[in-house]
Amino acid sequence: MSQFERDLRESLRHREPPSGFAEKVLARARESETRHRSKPWLAAAAAVVLMIGGGIFVEQQRQQTEDEKAKEQLMVALRITGSKLRNVQERLSTIQQRAVQRQSNP
Amino acid sequence: MTKNDFESVVREHQRMVYSIACNFFHNDAIAEEVAQDVFLQLFEHHRTIQVGTHCVAWLRRSTAHRCIDAMRRASFRQELQVDSLPEIAADIPETDPLLQEGLRRLIASLPEKPRTILILRYGEDMDVEEIGRTLQMPARTVWSHLQRGTAMIREKAARYLKEKVLEGDRR
Repeated sequence: MSQFERDLRESLRHREPPSGFAEKVLARARESETRHRSKPWLAAAAAVVLMIGGGIFVEQQRQQTEDEKAKEQLMVALRITGSKLRNVQERLSTIQQRAVQRQSNP
Repeated sequence: MTKNDFESVVREHQRMVYSIACNFFHNDAIAEEVAQDVFLQLFEHHRTIQVGTHCVAWLRRSTAHRCIDAMRRASFRQELQVDSLPEIAADIPETDPLLQEGLRRLIASLPEKPRTILILRYGEDMDVEEIGRTLQMPARTVWSHLQRGTAMIREKAARYLKEKVLEGDRR
């Protein structure tokens, strides 16, 4: 090893950290642990809010689907009724025409 | 690692972590802050880290990366002016504190990668392969940064000494 490398090694040797360094680290670790401990409550509260919100959303979606289904059924029923009414009307007009023809050609 | 182990790890390795950061920044306050953050990160991951060589390697890696990140974030790169170096006596004894201080300042003025590599090589006595594993770079790259770093320090130191000699001649 050259003198230069020895000098580098010497200048980069380990130094003592400021006094109370370890205590500060341990205090910050305890503090961070306390913060983390309170987090499960936050997570649980967030989960409850999400569940309630999700439930409301699902219920709204279900209601909307049901409404749309009922509306569709009503439209089909109205279409069927309309076509039946047209048939009856056509038949009535045919009968009426025949009756008129019979009266004019006895 | 258990929580009880954590305390003994802090006490055992505080010098190493603090010294890496201190040599990197050449600033006690920033070094202390970075070193504390490294240990807090260790505390957060203590369950996944084994006491012993794994822990030492983790601490070195984490400190090196934190130093580089902190420097990039704050961009407090210290471009060293040769004139700001302390006076170096002509006859330098074996362990001259002024020379050591001068070298520390020169090292702290290097670009981040050669600086980190030099600190791990000469401060932590790690070989090129170990440094490569720690910094996740090929050994050849580590070697080239090491060469570049030492060459820069030699060049800066030589320039400084030359200026001093010329100054002496003028007198």
